Amino acid sequence: MKKITLLIFLFFGCAQCLVFGQVPPSPSPLDPGLSLGKPAADSEESNATAEAPSEPSRSTQSQTIMRAGKDLRHAEVGRRVGAAKLLGKYPGIQANLLLIIALDDKSPLVRRASMVSLAEQASNGYLLYDKSLIEKIYSKLGDSDVEVRRGVATMIPQLVRGLRGGVVYRPVQAGMRADLVLLTQKAFLDPDAIVRQNVLKYHLYLGVPLPVSVLEKLLADQDLGVLLTALGRIYSNASQVSIVNKIEDLSKHSDRGIRLKVVSVARDANRFHVRYRSILRGMTKDKDPEVTSMAAVELARFGEKIPAEVIERIKNYLLGVEGMSSQVTTILYSISAMGKDAIQVYQALTEHSSSQIRKVAWQRYFNLSSGVNKPDLWMPALEDRDKGVRGVVLMSLRGRSLDMTQADMQKIVESRFPDVRIFAGQLLLTSKKELVEEFGFDLLIDEDTVVRSTTIRAMASRKVPGWVNVMKRSLLDDDYVIQRAAMDGLLSDRAEGVQALKKFVSENPRNRISSMAISQLLARGIQP
Amino acid sequence: MKLRFFVIFLLLASLCSLWSKEVAVQGGGIRIMQLMRNQNAIKRYPDALPSLLKMMNEQTFARFDTDPLFISSLTDERLLENPILYVNCDDQPNLEFPQEEREALRRYMEQGGFVYLDAGIKASFLGSDLGHSYAAWEERPEVKELFAQVIPEKTFIPLPRNHDLFRTFFKGLPKNEYLKIEENQKRLPDTVLKFVEQEKWPQGTYSFVGMKVKGRLACVASPICAMGWGKDEFGSWIPPISFRIRESAENFDQNLKLASFAGGTFEVTREDGLKDVIYSEQGRRPLWVQEPNGRWRIFKYYSGEEISNYAHAFYSRLGMNVFLYALLN
Repeated sequence: MKKITLLIFLFFGCAQCLVFGQVPPSPSPLDPGLSLGKPAADSEESNATAEAPSEPSRSTQSQTIMRAGKDLRHAEVGRRVGAAKLLGKYPGIQANLLLIIALDDKSPLVRRASMVSLAEQASNGYLLYDKSLIEKIYSKLGDSDVEVRRGVATMIPQLVRGLRGGVVYRPVQAGMRADLVLLTQKAFLDPDAIVRQNVLKYHLYLGVPLPVSVLEKLLADQDLGVLLTALGRIYSNASQVSIVNKIEDLSKHSDRGIRLKVVSVARDANRFHVRYRSILRGMTKDKDPEVTSMAAVELARFGEKIPAEVIERIKNYLLGVEGMSSQVTTILYSISAMGKDAIQVYQALTEHSSSQIRKVAWQRYFNLSSGVNKPDLWMPALEDRDKGVRGVVLMSLRGRSLDMTQADMQKIVESRFPDVRIFAGQLLLTSKKELVEEFGFDLLIDEDTVVRSTTIRAMASRKVPGWVNVMKRSLLDDDYVIQRAAMDGLLSDRAEGVQALKKFVSENPRNRISSMAISQLLARGIQP
Repeated sequence: MKLRFFVIFLLLASLCSLWSKEVAVQGGGIRIMQLMRNQNAIKRYPDALPSLLKMMNEQTFARFDTDPLFISSLTDERLLENPILYVNCDDQPNLEFPQEEREALRRYMEQGGFVYLDAGIKASFLGSDLGHSYAAWEERPEVKELFAQVIPEKTFIPLPRNHDLFRTFFKGLPKNEYLKIEENQKRLPDTVLKFVEQEKWPQGTYSFVGMKVKGRLACVASPICAMGWGKDEFGSWIPPISFRIRESAENFDQNLKLASFAGGTFEVTREDGLKDVIYSEQGRRPLWVQEPNGRWRIFKYYSGEEISNYAHAFYSRLGMNVFLYALLN
């Protein structure tokens, strides 16, 4: 009876598709006057290759589909398979109807080819919205052939979209046939792992509930994919003791990925049962340090105090990793939740070989230790070989008023890294005057232009003894950046600086900085 | 020369770790450089290379820093400090480099550096469609143009299927045990498995072209493989991958020749140097192919967990083989 309905669809489908524009306009597909070899009425749609004289004319889409439809009824399996494969290339109701009929073919090869073509149509954006047709496809979840069942299970999201009727959303289950609901529940325990996994993954789309007894079985599944998916589906039953027991069992699973998933599930299910937290505590003794770290981090986020030996393991684990990965990043940032206990971990990591890890470690160590006025704490960071690492610490220090000793200042001034020496120049802005006098001239002869210009600006700002002379000499520098810094310095002091600049301009009218200096003086209402 | 000594040093350091696995490795693995000419651009597969490097650390005795070193220019001084450069050609705004960068690249290859151009092969019909891996057997035109300027006296040559690169560490295609699925479970649909084993990736090989410099394979290019390397924190593969399979059926040689078609054709070089003619309609995935022997076959597209898992396992094994080959040669 259903088959007859489909055939009626097929024969009247063409008229429908013209209305909805799903297939390009073409002559009647049932017109016997058109043959494959004959030039088609819409041959202008053919490409350049088809127009080549050596190539025979191609048929229209309707003709091709009709021919495939005939082949689907051919006695030879190979012919039927070919037709089913070809129909996947022509999105539209006609091709779909033929493919749906072919899902009942006695040969699994034909049924497989039909499923693949239906999936191809759906992935090309051609979705079915007729419920009876979708139910027909979905019913093949009970097919005897595993490839067909896999195909249906993979297609569930596309089928559901069709069932929901495009933009008008309504619960699917409300309209799902009782036999299909039963079929779905049976498919949770399908002999094939891929089918089980897909049905489990998409059962919420379908609105088909997952019974606790089935979930228990799936949480003991041998397939890792099924197990991971099942772990993500426990929440509606997370308060059931049997499920908590299963999660506890899985916290000792041999696969690390499963155990990591258990950590995440136990964290999220914590509000459903108190034992989830004890599962996490147990996992801080896991043989894998990554699992230990993740479990400890989650407990710390709940406000629990982490035992010293666990912190030591986390530290050793992070010291042993070869670089940043998503997991390491998560742990590295999350150990901040341990509060003061995290300081020692970050401190140890400041000596890690990975510059990325050192960068995060220095940043966190600096902040958690309130390290601004503790040069002993951050001085080693300025000796780091990686500019990025030095950069994060320098960024935290810039603009702060630091109480530097002479010895520390000496180290910074003598650093082999220009960015650190630039920082030394910036420090002159806030350092004690005696430090400016002692180290200012060393920085003025630095090989790096930015170090020199920074120092010039700092000396002008601090007005150290002899600063005007320094600026005047700097105006004669070969480097424009230095000249500009000296000019700005002199402009900042109306008493001595401006006079010196006016004198320079009059004595060196052709110097490249002079025109700029004149315009700056004029802008301030001073006649050069 | 300096770089070659450095490579040997790293290799020895790496091998030393083979005997001291119990000793905590205090980081310091081999750093892979990744070129991102526009550092602010979105990386198509950000998890790919770190996941692959982590897998190598887990499955082999080599020790790689799982954090790639990103460089934005080939004149970056760190280029000569690291022996392997990975370039996802699809991640670059273009492959036009200034003279000094081209010279730096040549110097790098001459001094022992290895360049892996992922997506360095890209069939013309794919157009701007990224993320599709298609086994063409010649480098993409931009790569050809670039290397004609970098090393004009050399050309890319297809790597034979028996090349050591394909069996440096992993040999053949992944079996159920490697895929971590039950022994009796069907790892792929029958038609897909047959095509994969016999044509798509025979013996775990793929379409690679390479360039030798001073007698050493210094650069390889492949269709995009990075989409097959990513893993999430629980060990599941990301993102999902589909398969494109050539399938035949009775009467296809006649039917496909005459079937309705309103697109264009594209020529793609095959392994034997002959050309396939791909039939493709705009905005859609290619429909079918006319092969030089006169045979017509249809492209079928397979997706699903088993397909994706298998593809990931293959691409990651292949990727590991490439990096380990680079390290050992």
